[in-house]
Amino acid sequence: MEKSLFQFVWRYSRTQQIILFLITLLSFPILYYTLELPKLIVNDAISGKNFPRSLLGAEWGQIDYLLLLCFSFLGLVVINNAVKYVLNVYRGLVGERMLRRLRYDLYKRVLLFRLPRFRKMSSGEIIPMITSEVEPLGGFIGDAVALPAFQGGQLLVYLVFIFVQDPLLGVAAITFYPVQGYIIPKLQKRVNMLNKERVRNVRRISDRIGESVQGITEIHANDTAQWHLAELTDRLHANFTIRFAVFRRKFMIKFINNFINQLTPFFFYSIGGYLVIKGDVSFGALVAVLAAYKDLAGPWKELLGYYQNQADVRIKYEAIVENFDIPDLYPDTRISTEPTEDLLSAMAGQMKLDHVTYVGDSAGQELSAITLSIDPGETVALVGGDGSGRTELAAMLAGLLSPKSGRLTVGGKNLEEMPESVIGQKVAYIGPSPQIFSGTIRSNLRYSIRNRPISTPEALDDLADRMREAELTGNTPYVIEAIWENYQAAGVATPEELDTRAVELLNHVGLGDDIYQMGLRSRFPENLDEKTQNAILMARNKLFDDVQANRNLSSKIAFWIRDAFNPTATLAENLLFATSADRHTEVGMLSENDHVRAFLNQSGCRKLFVEIGIAVADAIIELFSDIDGDSAILESLDLMTATELVEYRNLVAKAHSQGAEALERWETRRFIALAFRLSPARHRLGVLSDERAAQIVSLREAFRRSLSEEDRKDFAFFDRDAVHPYFSISENLVFGLPRADRRGSQEAVARLVSDISEEVGLTAYIMQAGLDFDVGVMGSVLSVGQRRKIALVRALLKQPTILIADDLLQGTSEDQVTHALVEQAMANKTVIWGVNRPDLAPNCDKLHIMQSGRIVQSGAPQDILETV
Amino acid sequence: MGLNTEVETLKKVPLFKGIEAAKLKLLAFISDRLFFTQGEHLCDQGETGDAAYIILDGTADVLVDTPDGPVKVADFTVNDIVGEIAILCDVPRTATIVAATDLEALAISKDNFLKLLREFPDVSLEVMRELGQRLDRMNKELTLLKS
Repeated sequence: MEKSLFQFVWRYSRTQQIILFLITLLSFPILYYTLELPKLIVNDAISGKNFPRSLLGAEWGQIDYLLLLCFSFLGLVVINNAVKYVLNVYRGLVGERMLRRLRYDLYKRVLLFRLPRFRKMSSGEIIPMITSEVEPLGGFIGDAVALPAFQGGQLLVYLVFIFVQDPLLGVAAITFYPVQGYIIPKLQKRVNMLNKERVRNVRRISDRIGESVQGITEIHANDTAQWHLAELTDRLHANFTIRFAVFRRKFMIKFINNFINQLTPFFFYSIGGYLVIKGDVSFGALVAVLAAYKDLAGPWKELLGYYQNQADVRIKYEAIVENFDIPDLYPDTRISTEPTEDLLSAMAGQMKLDHVTYVGDSAGQELSAITLSIDPGETVALVGGDGSGRTELAAMLAGLLSPKSGRLTVGGKNLEEMPESVIGQKVAYIGPSPQIFSGTIRSNLRYSIRNRPISTPEALDDLADRMREAELTGNTPYVIEAIWENYQAAGVATPEELDTRAVELLNHVGLGDDIYQMGLRSRFPENLDEKTQNAILMARNKLFDDVQANRNLSSKIAFWIRDAFNPTATLAENLLFATSADRHTEVGMLSENDHVRAFLNQSGCRKLFVEIGIAVADAIIELFSDIDGDSAILESLDLMTATELVEYRNLVAKAHSQGAEALERWETRRFIALAFRLSPARHRLGVLSDERAAQIVSLREAFRRSLSEEDRKDFAFFDRDAVHPYFSISENLVFGLPRADRRGSQEAVARLVSDISEEVGLTAYIMQAGLDFDVGVMGSVLSVGQRRKIALVRALLKQPTILIADDLLQGTSEDQVTHALVEQAMANKTVIWGVNRPDLAPNCDKLHIMQSGRIVQSGAPQDILETV
Repeated sequence: MGLNTEVETLKKVPLFKGIEAAKLKLLAFISDRLFFTQGEHLCDQGETGDAAYIILDGTADVLVDTPDGPVKVADFTVNDIVGEIAILCDVPRTATIVAATDLEALAISKDNFLKLLREFPDVSLEVMRELGQRLDRMNKELTLLKS
């Protein structure tokens, strides 16, 4: 990268900077005349004689002449500002483009870092450098040439104008420039140093914050929050000290400038006044000089500001670039080169290591003089514990680490010089802790075949614009909306086939059931097609009929039936026969809904729910009368928390001593909320008589009718003939709840759902829905085992010629499945296992036992196992 | 059908007889009232038990696997407690219990029972006393058998 900011600016924005400069030049004559005209107005029009005058082929009286000059002045002002506007817009544009280019370049460099680099640099440091730290550079780059030219030029115009009026006044105007020129750089130098320090400090702050976010589990588990807070406090104090020192100096610079700027008019008034009285200078000239000097302050201030900013920004640029301009970067060609047939076929050849060494950052990360060859189609195991160099060797074979010396070739070509497009297509690597990206399972699986876009989208309106801007800023011409999945690489023709293949592999690794369950628990997309809707409704009705015929089953599900009370459901669900349309609203909160409150009031059933609420509170308080706040039994109760228990005790006491009528509005709402959460079958408090249950059921229809068409959208009603948008697929199929008072009802329902979806052919759809499961931030929702399996499927999906799996086989029960799958998918292809013990990788053609970075023994498994 | 009727039943269970009514009510509350249809299994021989059942209504057969298939060895009826050992320690069920009629039972899960014991030491003492008496009775019966 360019070492200095100005080299960068010059290299990529030369033309634009010249254009900016030319526009600037254009403004100077205009500016000069905006100074000259006022003088003419005062001297010639206001105090002038000999009217009328002939000008522009017409005769002008004094007033007309004054107006002519004034409007000319106005015209010039308009033109001057128009030029400034154009200049500013163009400057902004240039700045933004350069900023975009800079960010892209820096990010690209991150992608070219070799792996060991990331042990020294954290994302917490890299992110602010690319995002916030470069931000001020953009603004500056637009100004780089234009601003000094423009402001400097203006300054010059003003000075020339002043000198033309009277040289002595000119001298007075510039007397103090040398003083400023001496003091300010001295102060500025110190400011620059401080700024550099500040940048480093801020970077450390973001690094610390990033670390805390990632290690939040450890912080909670070890009670180290105070320690982290103290650490940040320390950093913030350092930041404060630096910033305080910076702005003390900045304001000192400002003070000196302002003082000197206001000192100069003193000379104008005294010397200028003297000259006017003596008659050496006209009064108009003095007025014009004073006006010019007032304007002079602007450009001068801008220039000083530019000087300060320039110094600041230069430091920033250097501080950023030194982190990215490192010598051991991969060459650009490594990620940009397209694969050639020649190179691709070489990857099918023999892998050969010739005296390869590697030195990592710490002990146990070295390889010494490894000489080894792996034939195509061979299955080998690198066997060794942590620190044996096994992991390093596996990573090196995947092209992820570079040998320090020696040669690593594949099919006679140096792997080090192979572009990633070739390695990535032919080699699949699964490391000890595979990365899962935020997004869906499907997108994670497809990740391995997203190398280059295989189509250009046509439907984008702004595509041409985007392409042009990308070209102007050196960004990639690829657009993210394109289709990136290289179906061919996965050996399929369509996305559907790809999904089928993925599901097949997921089933093989034993993740099929997990995905199926995720699918069942997921919700439908908003625009669910009619065919699936019908299939769901059909399955729902079929399940209902099947279950009705079998008493043992039918008593295990509490179906949603329009005119029947559902004891397993809450009273809120029983009353409304709907859930809130906002699926984050929990049942107890429904009592706070405006529509629900209005209905409770107008239908007169408010009293009923307050009574039930009081009865529930009574019962709970009686049950837990002996219990202190921290009771394990109370905690497992979902009706009340320990804090609420205290609150309800007071409320109930009031209700009993003063009567329910004495309760305040908000107090009755607390009781209604409690009643709404009650599920008679689960809580069995005996507070709900059959009459009350029947009354609640009878209110359902009234509630529905109380809502306008528009308001109904706030609720999702339980409707047997429609898919419920906030129920999961499973809940939609069952359209009821597993009964709380039946043993094994959950399992029975799960089986029923599974059977019925198989029967009506919904299984594939559910699997698809499972593929759409969101894995959370970097896969945080998935277990370690699930992540490994996804990584394996992802690796196999791209049909590599060489599979390298380090630490995937760990001696668990799942190893056999993994083994069988890899054997089948990688038949006649190279497989390299990295394992801890020799017995973990059975059926290998060859074992290489590693110790302290050396291969201590190689051979067929039976030979080695005998000697071990 | 409220908690009070369940408490009445619990009072008749020897294991809980010394425990005061308020605690029994809490025990009833944190237990599950389950319904079984005729022929349904309350538990299966060999599986790890995690709950004791107190029969509130109906009868159940006790079946033990033999080489010739399951054989009925006893039956349980209202107020009987089934599989109470399971809530005290981890042991496999020694028999299969099948509902002979439609049946209602209170299921006391091991987790909830232990929570109750932890929270109220006097309840533990009562349970221990009852177990001690049971042990005493069994010892006496054993001596009788031996002589």
